[in-house]
Amino acid sequence: MNSRRLENRVAIVTGAGQGVGEGIARRLAQEGATVVIAARRAETGEPVVESIRSRGGRAVCIVTDVSVSESVDACVASSVQQFGRLDIMVHNAFMGGIPHKLEKAQIEKHWTLMSRTGVWASLFCARAAMPHLVASSARPKGEGGGRLILITSPSGVEGSANIPLYSPAKAAQRAIAKSLAREWGEFGITVNCIGPVAGSPALLTAFDRNPALQQAIEARTPLGRVGDITDDIGSVALFLASDDSSFVTGQTIICDGGSFLGL
Amino acid sequence: MSVSVLGQGKLADLLRDGVYSETRSAVIVVEVDGDRSISSIAQLTDAQIDEIFEQPMQRVIGALQEAYSMNCERIVVVVPTTGMSGGACYAPQAALAESARILVKSAARQWGASGITVNAVAVEPHWFAIDPSISGPVAIAPRSLGGDVSPVGLVNWLCGATSGDVTGQTIVCDGGLWM
Repeated sequence: MNSRRLENRVAIVTGAGQGVGEGIARRLAQEGATVVIAARRAETGEPVVESIRSRGGRAVCIVTDVSVSESVDACVASSVQQFGRLDIMVHNAFMGGIPHKLEKAQIEKHWTLMSRTGVWASLFCARAAMPHLVASSARPKGEGGGRLILITSPSGVEGSANIPLYSPAKAAQRAIAKSLAREWGEFGITVNCIGPVAGSPALLTAFDRNPALQQAIEARTPLGRVGDITDDIGSVALFLASDDSSFVTGQTIICDGGSFLGL
Repeated sequence: MSVSVLGQGKLADLLRDGVYSETRSAVIVVEVDGDRSISSIAQLTDAQIDEIFEQPMQRVIGALQEAYSMNCERIVVVVPTTGMSGGACYAPQAALAESARILVKSAARQWGASGITVNAVAVEPHWFAIDPSISGPVAIAPRSLGGDVSPVGLVNWLCGATSGDVTGQTIVCDGGLWM
């Protein structure tokens, strides 16, 4: 479906060089948004840009390291300079997640990267985008609307037995979203989270190596499959980015086929 | 047997004085610093993220590891409800509280096979100098129960033998302010 719901809007999607971020970027572009592919490496970001352009969409790649505040600031500044506005900030990029035993976990090895790319980067993105999201929300109805979307995980709600320090990094993002939803409500900016389980390259590679894992995940999922990064996850992001969700803020939408039902 | 209470401040002192258990236990009061509210996320500095979120969170991880190394069978982590509710002007504090609260679930999942229970107690924000009027919860109704609310009794129970089937949970002890 393509109804151009984001025509004239500008979106930044971090970690859009692959996986969930790529799916979200594609879906927003399908609806008319100009999308900034904020990727750590041009080698992954540029092919996504080319693919979006080949389908008639508008996209550019800005190489961005979300763990460095200056890099996030530069990405936002460059986006606004090129396109004159920023309406939608999607922070999806995340690194880390090595399985570990909590009692033996080492801060540098098992926590720091997840904290920097998950928690710190969420705050960096919010801080850099805020004035532009305020300006977007000040536009006449139907012509703007500031949106901050943070990509978390069901593990950020239920904890994790395999990667225990992954969960607190993702949980912090939900708390940031709720806090900023309260803080930015007066401007009309909405702040929400998505908790996806989707066929990212990492998950698909894991399935190739361990078909039993795929069977186990599908068996515990009421809808019997993992999500598609564009049609399933990207469409939830589209809803949260569009005017359709203008009265939804501070929420987490778990998009995992019904595997987690604990909210 | 005394209970190890890790943390500082009025609440930690209250728990240190009031909690007793015959089961080896540790209580971790997360260092959520409500005295450092941020007027706007636009004013938040990298140094503040480090001081308000990162360093205290690393100490929570260390405290849990210490409790494990002490062979504690009961671990209780105390946070403000601000992590669940969110708090305007308190984003890094809310992030810390929620991060610690969900780490409890991960710890409970990993350490349950060793007979260790790990639970969270969420208390009123004022215990952490957080102003509830701007931090949330924004309750339409006032707090359900009047008078002072103390978490000592609840923490005592979670540190005791009779709570051995309870793990990975968050129990809100705020007199019904946050529901």
